Amino acid sequence: MSSLTPSSVLGQARKRLQGSTGARFWRALEELADDPVFRRELGDAVPQLASVMSMDRRHFLQLLGASLAFGGLAACSGPPGGKLVPWISQPNGMTPGVPQFYATALAYGGDVLGVLVESRDGRPTKLEGNPQHPASFGATGPLPQAAVLELWDPDRSQQPLHRGHADSWDAFAQVAAKLRMDCGQDGSGLYVLSGRLQSPTSMAQRDALLHRFPGASWHEYEPVADDNAEQGAQLAFGKPMVSRYHIEHADVILSLEADFLGDMPGRVAHARAFAGRRDPSSPMSRLYVAEATPSLTGSMADHRWTLRSADIAVFARELATELGVNGSKAIGGSGVSAARVKAVAADLLAHRGSSLVMAGESQPPPVHALAHVLNEHLGNAGKTVDYLEGNPRSSGNLADLCMALRRDDVETLIVLESNIAYSAPADLPFAELLQDVPQLIHWGLYVDETAALADWHLPATHTLENWSDLRAQDGTTSVVQPLIAPLYQGRSVHELLALLMGDTTQDGLSIVQQHWQATLGDADAAAWQHSLGRGIALAAPAAAMPPPTQREFLAGWQPARQPDDALELTFRPDPTVWDGRYANNGWLQELPKPLTQLTWSNAALISPALAATYALHNGDVITLEHGGSKLEAPVWIMPGQAGRSITVHLGYGRRAAGRVGSNLGFDAYPLRSSAQAWAAQGVTITKTGRSVELAGTQQHFQMEAPAPVREVTLAQLMAEPDIVGRDNVTPPSFYPQQPPGEYAWGMTVDLNACIGCKGCSIACQAENNIPVVGADQVRREREMHWIRVDRYYAGSPENPSIHHQPVPCMHCEHAPCELVCPVGATVHDQEGLNVQVYNRCIGTRFCSNNCPYKVRRFNFLQFSDLTTESLKAQRNPDVSVRNRGVMEKCTYCIQRIEEAHITADKAQRRIADGDIVTACQAACPTQAIRFGDISDPHSEVAKAKASPRRYDLLAELNTRPRTSYLAAVRNPNPALGDDA
Amino acid sequence: MGQIFHQGIGLYAKLALLGLAIVIGAACFAWRGVVTDPHRIAEPVNQPVPFSHKHHVDDVGLDCRFCHTGVESSAFAGIPPVSTCMTCHSQLFTDASMLQPVRDSWNGKGELRWNRINQLPDFVYFNHSIHIAKGVGCESCHGRVDQMPLTRRVATLNMSWCLDCHRAPQNYLRPREHVFDMGWHAENQQQLGLDLVRKYQINTSRMTDCSLCHR
Repeated sequence: MSSLTPSSVLGQARKRLQGSTGARFWRALEELADDPVFRRELGDAVPQLASVMSMDRRHFLQLLGASLAFGGLAACSGPPGGKLVPWISQPNGMTPGVPQFYATALAYGGDVLGVLVESRDGRPTKLEGNPQHPASFGATGPLPQAAVLELWDPDRSQQPLHRGHADSWDAFAQVAAKLRMDCGQDGSGLYVLSGRLQSPTSMAQRDALLHRFPGASWHEYEPVADDNAEQGAQLAFGKPMVSRYHIEHADVILSLEADFLGDMPGRVAHARAFAGRRDPSSPMSRLYVAEATPSLTGSMADHRWTLRSADIAVFARELATELGVNGSKAIGGSGVSAARVKAVAADLLAHRGSSLVMAGESQPPPVHALAHVLNEHLGNAGKTVDYLEGNPRSSGNLADLCMALRRDDVETLIVLESNIAYSAPADLPFAELLQDVPQLIHWGLYVDETAALADWHLPATHTLENWSDLRAQDGTTSVVQPLIAPLYQGRSVHELLALLMGDTTQDGLSIVQQHWQATLGDADAAAWQHSLGRGIALAAPAAAMPPPTQREFLAGWQPARQPDDALELTFRPDPTVWDGRYANNGWLQELPKPLTQLTWSNAALISPALAATYALHNGDVITLEHGGSKLEAPVWIMPGQAGRSITVHLGYGRRAAGRVGSNLGFDAYPLRSSAQAWAAQGVTITKTGRSVELAGTQQHFQMEAPAPVREVTLAQLMAEPDIVGRDNVTPPSFYPQQPPGEYAWGMTVDLNACIGCKGCSIACQAENNIPVVGADQVRREREMHWIRVDRYYAGSPENPSIHHQPVPCMHCEHAPCELVCPVGATVHDQEGLNVQVYNRCIGTRFCSNNCPYKVRRFNFLQFSDLTTESLKAQRNPDVSVRNRGVMEKCTYCIQRIEEAHITADKAQRRIADGDIVTACQAACPTQAIRFGDISDPHSEVAKAKASPRRYDLLAELNTRPRTSYLAAVRNPNPALGDDA
Repeated sequence: MGQIFHQGIGLYAKLALLGLAIVIGAACFAWRGVVTDPHRIAEPVNQPVPFSHKHHVDDVGLDCRFCHTGVESSAFAGIPPVSTCMTCHSQLFTDASMLQPVRDSWNGKGELRWNRINQLPDFVYFNHSIHIAKGVGCESCHGRVDQMPLTRRVATLNMSWCLDCHRAPQNYLRPREHVFDMGWHAENQQQLGLDLVRKYQINTSRMTDCSLCHR
C-alpha cells in the first residue's frame, strides 16, 4: 500500500509529468508519483519475501531441510500403471493421436462466432476461429476460448432436480404431459422466459408454442443486450433495422461510447477490419472516442475524450448542429470544447461516405437514432454502415412478465437459460416474485440462484454437446453440431421444448434438421453435410435499403443536462465474466481484466480526481447509494475515467455460481433499474473506512525498461521513417553465437494492432495446460499466464493514452536464464528456441530472477488439478502438465512447431510460412502476432521484422530477443494540434 | 571413572546398526520397486487374451500395419479395435475359450484391457510416424516380435537408449521398404546408414535438442 495520500499521489504525478520530456510510460499511479514505498516494493524482486526476511537462522535451516526431504520424496513416482483399452470399432476417419476439427458456432457474450473445435480422440480440447466465417476470419477472443473449460466444468448441473432432490427426465415428462393437459386449448397461465434467442430453430419452436397455446406468453430478457440500439433504429427508421458496420471502409470513425472492439456484437470481425485500416503504410483511419470509462476501443483512439455518459448525448447534439443537421439544436455544455467539436465535424464532412458514427449500447435510443441520422447526413449509409431488416419481436419483455407475476396470472413459468433471480433490474424484484409462482421450471447449465427457487431444475447441454443453429450479427447462420455426447443428463433447449409440446420428434438432431429442411426447401443430404463441414448454413443476407431517417424525434428530445458536480454511475458488462454467466470459469476469473488488470473481482472504477476529493485508495470500500438502494464496493482508481462518473461491472456477487465463482466481488444489479440500465444519475458515495486487497496485476512482473512501448504519430513517422528503429543496436558480445539451425523461429507483436482483449492469454492457457492459481496466489504475484498483456499509460492521469503490450518469452539468443541454471534445465535448441526441460528443473528460480522480461512462471504449489476427472479430459495431450516446484514459460507452442516439423520432414519438404500458427497468434482478432522463420526473408514475420517500426525490448541488455515489437502509431487530427 | 555403558549394551548397539542397515536397504528396494517398470526387460507379460505376435506375424504373415494402423500417420501406432480381431475371429476359432474376452467385448459385455508393455514417461513425446518415415525399423525398438508368443519389452526405453540412435542414426537405419521386415540385416550398415541419413534428409544436428522430445 502506498504511503502517500491519493491527492498527493496525483499532485506528485503531475509534477513529474511536467518535468519530463518525451513520452513516459507508467502502469500505476504510484509508479508515476515515484512513491518511495512503492519503489521499495518493486525493488524486492519477490515482494512476498518481505515476511521471510524476518525469519531466524534456525527456522530457515529447518525449512530448508524439510524442503529437501519433501522434494526428494515428491520426485519418487514410478511409471503409471498401464492398461490399454481398444475401441470396439474405431470411428471412420479417426486416427488415435491425430486431432480432428469440426466446424460449429458458439454464442458468447451477446455475440455469435463461427468456430472450429479441436477434438482429441473424441474430447473437445480447444477452440479456434473458423476462417470461413465472416464473424471470425479464424480469430476468436477471450470468451470463446474459455468455452471449452465451461464444457468440462465439474460444477455443471448433472441431473434433473425436483425441489432440490435428484429426479429423472421421465418424471419430468409426466409433469410436461400434465402441463399440456392443464393448459387446455388456450394455454393462458403458461409463461416462458428466455435469454435473447439467436437460434432460428428456437424461434420457430417459440412461434409453434405460441401458435398452439395462443394464451401463453414468451418473454426475452438479457441483462446485456442491444435494446437501446433496437429502439434507436425504431426511432430513426420507424421499423427495426440492424446495423452492420464496415469499418474497413471508414476513414474517420466517431464512437459515442460504442465499444465496437470490446463488447459490441461482431467485435472480432470489427477488430480485424479496424486493424486493417491502421497500417501506416496505407491510408490510415482516424478514431475519435467519447466515453465515460476507458474501453478497448477508447484505448485505440487517436482522440479520446472523457465525458460523463449523460454528457455524450449533449455532445452528439452539438456535433449534429455543427454538421448542419436540420432540426438539431445544440444545448451546449457537454464538456467538449468548441474547437474539438468543429474539428471532428470538419473531419467527418471531409470524409463524406467514408466516415462512420457509432453509438454504444450504454447510450439512450435517441443517440442511436441521431447516429443513424448523422450517417445518412454524411452519406455513409450503404458504405460504411448498412442495414438488415430486423425481426419484429414476438416476445414480451421483462416488465410485462413482472406485471403478470404481480397479477398472479402466472400458473407455470419456464425459465430457459436465464438467471433472472440474480440478474433482474432492482425495480423488478424477481427473486421475491418467483417464490410465489405455482410452478417454476428452470433449464440451465448450472444450479444457480434461479434454479434454487425452482420446483424443477433441468440440466442443459453445453453448446459443444448439442445440435442447434445460430445466427450471427451479420446474418450468417450456422448449424451447431455436437463434439461429444452429453457428459451428464443434459438436454438441449430444442429437446426440452419438444418434450414440453409433446412433439413426435424429440431428438435434437431431427428437430434441427426438420427446421432446415423446411427453410431450405428440398435441400438434400449433401447440402446439409456441406453446411456442417463449412460451418455456414446460410450466408449473410444482402443489405436492405433503409427508409429515409425520420428526424421528428430531434425536436422532442432534450438530453437532460446534469449539474457539473453530479455523480453518475455507469454499468458495464464485465470483460471476462460478462453478466455473471461465466462466473464459474476459472480461466476467465483469473484473466486480468483489460484496462483495470484486476482478477477475481470487480470494483467501482473512479477517476483520480474523485479519489483525491474523497481521499480514496485502491481497495477502499465505499457505499454507493442510488434510488434507495445501496451497495458496498471497493474502489479502483482508473486513469482516464470521466471525473464525475463511477463505473461498476456486472457479473459479480454471485451466490450460487459454483465452487469457483460464488461470493466474489459485489453484485451491482441492485443499483440497476430497468429505466436506467446503463447509467444512473445522482448517486452518492460515502467512505466506509474499510479496505480490501484487490487481486490486481498491474504492477506485477515489472521490467526495468525505459521505453517498453513506443508510440509515434503518423506525421512523425512520415517525416522520419526511422524514428523508431534508429536506436536499434546490437552491441558486440563475448558469448558465442547460438548454432544456426535450419530454421530460426521468431515472433513479432504489432502494438499498433493489439487492442488488448487478452484472447492470446486464454488461448495460451487452453493450449498449454496452464493452471489457475486463485485470488490469493495472484496477490502474491504467482499467476501463471505465459503471455501476459501489460497495460501502459502515457500522459496525464486524467486522460492518458493507453497501450497494451503482450509479453511472451522473448526467446533471447543470449538468454540470461540459461547461464544461471545449475542443472541445465533451460537451454537453447538449434532453431533458436529457449526451451525449458521440466524433468530437469529442480526449482531454484535463478532463471526467473535473471530474466529481465519477467516471463518465467514458477509452480509454487501444486497448481495443476491432478484429481478432477473432467478437467483431465480438457488438457492438451501434446503438452506436459507441470507439477509443483517446476519453472515454466512460453515455448512458442513447441508442440505445434514439432507437429509441423514432423509433417514436413515426413514429406521431405521445408516447413512453409504459415504452417505453424501459435495459439496466441491464432486467437488474435487483429493479427497483431506473427510467427515464423526469421531466416526466410519472404516469411511474414521476417517482413514484419524489417518494418521501420520494429524495436526490441531491453535491446541494450544484448539479450538479442527473438520476439520483437512494432511501435504503435496514432493518427491525431493535425487541426487539433496540442488540444488532442 | 567407571564404565559408562553396561557391557551388554554392545549387543544392542550392533542390533541397532543392523536394524538401520536393514531399514535403509528396504527403503532402497521399496524405492526401486516404485520407480521401475512393472515388467522387466525380456519378461513376457501376461495378457487377458494370450495374444501371440509369433502366430499372427510369423505363422499367418500379417503386416504390422494391419493392426497398428496409425503407425505411419500418428504419434501412436495404435492398438487395434476389437473389430479388427473380429475380422477373422468371427470366422476362425469362434468357440475358442481363450478368445472369450474378445467376443465379450465385441458383444458389449465388458471391455478388453491389455497390459501395457512399452511405456514412456509423460514428459516424453515420441512419434511413431516420423521414425517410420525416416527408416527406423519396428524391430529396432520392439525386437523380433515375430518370435514372441507373449510380447515382451526388449529395450530399456530410457533416454540414453534413445540417444544411442539419435546421436548415430546411421547404425540403425534401414531402407523404408524394409521398415516392417523382421530379421532384416544390412550388408554394410555403416555405409547404408550414412547414405540413408542423406537420402532421407535427416538433420542430425537437431536430433539431440531437448525440444525434439520434451514439451
